Amino acid sequence: MSVGTDVIEPKPAAQTVEGGRTRKRWLNWLFVIPAILFQFFWGWYPMVIAIFLSLTNAPIRGAITFRGIENYVRLASDPLVPMAFRVTLIYGILSIILTFIIPIITAILLMEMPPKTMRVMMILWFLPLSGIASTLFWQYLYNEKFGIFQYIATAVLGLPPQTFLSSERFVLFWLIVPGIIMYGPGLYYIAGLQGIPKSYYEAAEVEGAGFWRKIWTISLPRLRPIISMTLLFSIIGSLQEFTFPDLMTRGGPNGASRTVVMYMFTLLNNGRIGDSTALAVMLFALIMVFVLVFRLAFKSDPDV
Amino acid sequence: MSLFPTVGRKQVKVRISWWLVVAFLVFGVFMHLVPFYIMISTSIKPATEAMAMPPTLWPKEPTFAAWGLVLKLSDIAKSVLSQPLSKYFLNSMIMTFGTMILSIPVTSLAAYAVSKLIKGRASKNLFIFFIGTLMLPGIVSLIPSFLLTRNFPFPLPVAPNIPGTDVPFPTLRIWNTYWAVIIPAGFSASNFLLFKGYFDGIPDSIINAARVDGGSEFNIFRRIILPMSIPVYAVVSYFTFGATWDSYLWPLVVIQDSAIAPLTLAIRRISDAFGAAGTTNPLTAVGASAGISELVSQGLSWNGLMVLGLLQAIPTFIFFIIAREYLLKGVKIQGLK
Repeated sequence: MSVGTDVIEPKPAAQTVEGGRTRKRWLNWLFVIPAILFQFFWGWYPMVIAIFLSLTNAPIRGAITFRGIENYVRLASDPLVPMAFRVTLIYGILSIILTFIIPIITAILLMEMPPKTMRVMMILWFLPLSGIASTLFWQYLYNEKFGIFQYIATAVLGLPPQTFLSSERFVLFWLIVPGIIMYGPGLYYIAGLQGIPKSYYEAAEVEGAGFWRKIWTISLPRLRPIISMTLLFSIIGSLQEFTFPDLMTRGGPNGASRTVVMYMFTLLNNGRIGDSTALAVMLFALIMVFVLVFRLAFKSDPDV
Repeated sequence: MSLFPTVGRKQVKVRISWWLVVAFLVFGVFMHLVPFYIMISTSIKPATEAMAMPPTLWPKEPTFAAWGLVLKLSDIAKSVLSQPLSKYFLNSMIMTFGTMILSIPVTSLAAYAVSKLIKGRASKNLFIFFIGTLMLPGIVSLIPSFLLTRNFPFPLPVAPNIPGTDVPFPTLRIWNTYWAVIIPAGFSASNFLLFKGYFDGIPDSIINAARVDGGSEFNIFRRIILPMSIPVYAVVSYFTFGATWDSYLWPLVVIQDSAIAPLTLAIRRISDAFGAAGTTNPLTAVGASAGISELVSQGLSWNGLMVLGLLQAIPTFIFFIIAREYLLKGVKIQGLK
């Protein structure tokens, strides 16, 4: 193949492509229209309407009337609301502090294993245990009469019988413990780490960088965009927790593990739709404060 | 093997830290396998042994009695479970596969268009429109979405009247049907991110070459992009399956009729009936529910709950086995940009 044809050939071809593109530009939108409709009606629309709904009485029957901030005032005088927010904050912050970093470290260390070992370990680690199934498992372990934790506490460690999930003071801690001891590597971190060229580490080694220094100057900076994403999702997710505490304790004892979302659900079940939405908007505002603080903290991105 | 020095691996210090890393990793894997072991071994214990103190490591006389009892739970204790367990299982299957069939094409086509077909400002704006909800707490839309399932397109408890008349607007009601779980999940922002990350990695030149050959955009997608993208489809299918199969709060809100309830809600009911929540042990719950005393006398206690857990876990497990080869190949995500 001569250089000449290479240069000349693309010209007419490029025109066809351009012509084809303009001709079919409208067809391109057919790819996105279904998604736009779903994302609009089930994504943005209910999100925006929540604010409006929280300002109404939202009765199950009869006409809807605008009530201003009445719902918020009523919630402000409800002692269960600050309690639920307190539980949510403690649960969210504690679970991020205690469980967010370990998967990153585990993923980084896992990359040190020989390829075969790594594959086997990864497969074993990613064996999924359904979240709902695991709540049954943890309830069994935490059982005060015959659970394994009680056995370890009394028979192995020689402690007096523990109360675990029925202790008002420590119930939140016990709910987070499974996340700590069931550590494993995050799939996204492994995927990110695999994209780092070996030569980076080799160059660092020539320069005399040790174990920790390589992690600090190569692995972590390269994972930064992924860490920032997963951290954002963890903040949002952990402050909206419902499933695990609901199945484990139903919010007990005496509301010591009742998160805001669980209280929202209770209000909804009692037919207090307006109040429940107002509570959701309050939680929304709280989480947005966290998200904004997070964005400010992560703003200066050296890679960009 | 990039953190440990390539030279001087035999040094005592390096060796010790290497084995510490191995120990840390092996311990993590071990901890991860413990729940499977305990659930399986407990599920084949007799009822009393499942509540023995100290707990036994492996049943003295393994029995599948609990499996049999759980499968006909609705016959033994109608008050606990009104439908046979297989019905809940089927309901979960319908909702999960329904969601996958709707959501995966809708989401992936949009991600492909945003990644490859639509350029410039429109593409950027669409991207923000699609993943913006991911960066906001979705819980705020729980109740309006719930109301939407009752009176679509009005997110209100009661549809407003047509102006000037006493007749309410006609609305679409999907509440308390399978559709209430399937339709709201028609687009998934997190899957969009996975798809887009993957499609971004496909060189434009491949698509341009196909355009020169004169394929329509949809045919190019179907014939060329789709076969190249099996890993990301496998990963997204697995994630979607896992998430929908385990979905809990949303079905709790929109599904009322136990004839169409998913398995997760059945588990909630049973674990409630057992008094499993929190502190009580099944034997003290005997007085609370006649159905449960019946179960316990027949030999069902925590062994039965573990059977339920395993039944809930097995489908996701199977899906994982199918998708495992693709897990790493399919994830090409590079943050939210």
